[in-house]
Amino acid sequence: MPKLSISPTERGGKIEVLVHGVWTFASLAAHQSELERTLHSFSATGRTDLAWNLGGLTELDDVGALWLVRKAGGTSLSAIPAQFDIILAQAQRALTVSHRQAPKPDLLYPFVLLGHVGLHVLDHLRFGIGLLGQVVLDLAHTLRRPGEFPLREISANIFRSGVTALPVTMLVGFLVGVVLTYLSALQLKSYGADLLVINIVSVGVARELGPMLASIIAAGRSGSTMTAQLGVMRVTEEIEALQVMGISITERLVLPKLIGLALAMPLVSFATDVAALAGGMLAAKMVLGIQFGAFLEALPRVLDVAHFWIGIGKSMVFGFAVAFVACHYGLRIRPNTESLGAGVTRSVVAAITAVILLDAIFAILLRNIP
Amino acid sequence: MSLGVHEPAAPGTLETPDLVIDIRGLRNEVAGTVLHQHLDFSVRRDEVMTLVGGSGSGKTQLLRIIIGLKAPAAGTVHVMGVSLSSGTMRQARAARQRMGMLFQNGALFSAFNVFDNIAFPLRERGGLDEDTIRAVVFTKLEQVELEPHHAALLPANLSGGMVKRVALARALALSPDLLILDEPTAGLDPDRSESFVRLIKMLRLQHRFAVLMVTHDLDTLYDLSDRIAVLADQHIIACGPLAEVRQLPHRFVQNFFGGDRALRAFDGVAIV
Repeated sequence: MPKLSISPTERGGKIEVLVHGVWTFASLAAHQSELERTLHSFSATGRTDLAWNLGGLTELDDVGALWLVRKAGGTSLSAIPAQFDIILAQAQRALTVSHRQAPKPDLLYPFVLLGHVGLHVLDHLRFGIGLLGQVVLDLAHTLRRPGEFPLREISANIFRSGVTALPVTMLVGFLVGVVLTYLSALQLKSYGADLLVINIVSVGVARELGPMLASIIAAGRSGSTMTAQLGVMRVTEEIEALQVMGISITERLVLPKLIGLALAMPLVSFATDVAALAGGMLAAKMVLGIQFGAFLEALPRVLDVAHFWIGIGKSMVFGFAVAFVACHYGLRIRPNTESLGAGVTRSVVAAITAVILLDAIFAILLRNIP
Repeated sequence: MSLGVHEPAAPGTLETPDLVIDIRGLRNEVAGTVLHQHLDFSVRRDEVMTLVGGSGSGKTQLLRIIIGLKAPAAGTVHVMGVSLSSGTMRQARAARQRMGMLFQNGALFSAFNVFDNIAFPLRERGGLDEDTIRAVVFTKLEQVELEPHHAALLPANLSGGMVKRVALARALALSPDLLILDEPTAGLDPDRSESFVRLIKMLRLQHRFAVLMVTHDLDTLYDLSDRIAVLADQHIIACGPLAEVRQLPHRFVQNFFGGDRALRAFDGVAIV
């Protein structure tokens, strides 16, 4: 254990403090208060000039060295055993460094941050445009050589992001159909315009809700998977391995995802439409008493086929956008776990935002189709 | 499993048992296959023990048992006098705070910068003010030959060798009584390996701690080890000073210590 005592003789007119024993983190933690008391009793004699004699030290680590250097202050330590020279010097330097390293507030920081954000956005744009260009080139390349077309990867992607997504998207579609119909029915009932509910639900679902719901779920489900997959491949250096083999990353990894989701999305969206209409039918029967047969019979009359095709076309674009955003963020992940987590989150948020933005653009462009 | 003859150190006391690691009759299974059986192994305080064994002999699995990440199927394992699997949580925590581990790939927390990585065990342990923690961190940085300005870097921005040195600084943060090193010099250049060996030697001069090292680096093994344990055929087939272990007529030992590389490292024989 660490011990302090006073030598019977003075050295150079100062009280000599003898340091003995084991001065390590663990021993100091156990005896700290005791040492403080002993030290206090020395100064209680009215003498504050102490000379420290380390001749009796047997073990010393950084925490012990720091304690001694701190307490000794400017006064010199003497009789230091040779093996402890270095650690005491290191402790002395560390104390000065830690003061120098104190962070200073930077008044220009908001401007610097703004600049960083601007550069970051530009960097994203540049990377995104580059990726899109590369995908177009790769597509042209594979179309010239149909034998190399990544059919297997595309079909695997359709299965993964399409077929396996059906249960959850259809369930969500069904519930949204029920809620939408129920709320509309309550309003329409008060005007006596019961049958209009079929118009509202069918057009709303086929043109807007079906593609949107399916795409947003795909962004959370398939988009995050794609980003994480590319990110993990970066972390484990698989991407670099492919590059070294001269294999195009975009052709092998990105293109099949883009085509796969762009093809799967209309199918998922159609299934969502069907589920939502089924939910609507059920709610219409329960609230307004419209029979299933009447609902189905009215459907082709009120739902112009154009709405259906707009929905299908939009979902194709949404699928492409979700996969593109996911791949964009996936390829930008740096090889560490922190970046992986942040990249996946950003990818999902960006994909959902992109879907909503695109939907707004479609709404403006197609405003003349009633 | 009982604590047996070992009197666990009560929290707050500082006695280090004579055997910092004591394993008796260990049996360990991984996915139904027996990896170790009848395995006895011990590390004394104040010694550097090197564990060697072929690939797949279960060195890493044995380390996982020693640091308490895995419970053995049978046998007793005591670390710092405490059984990590059957002792109380408090005893296990106290024992763990007295050992440091350097993982093969560093295992730095990627969300923290270098400073916070090293400060983490100090803050968790408690009892130190932030100024002392800062000074300890900068002392550790200097010991592992890093500059103060490296403290602000994130692990993602470090080179492989730097990751290793930061991880070593973190393992040493609590001045452990037992330091476990998994392939400490893998991925370091010869110069860095050399300074790593010097650093461990210097630190052990100041504070006598035990080292358990798993390594394939023959130079490091030769420079640091007091004793060498050979893990083969599911147990420790030999344990002793290098000169003794090398004589063992076992195929693995003869290949490991009798190959060209070993001759170069140990005997300075030039191979042409």
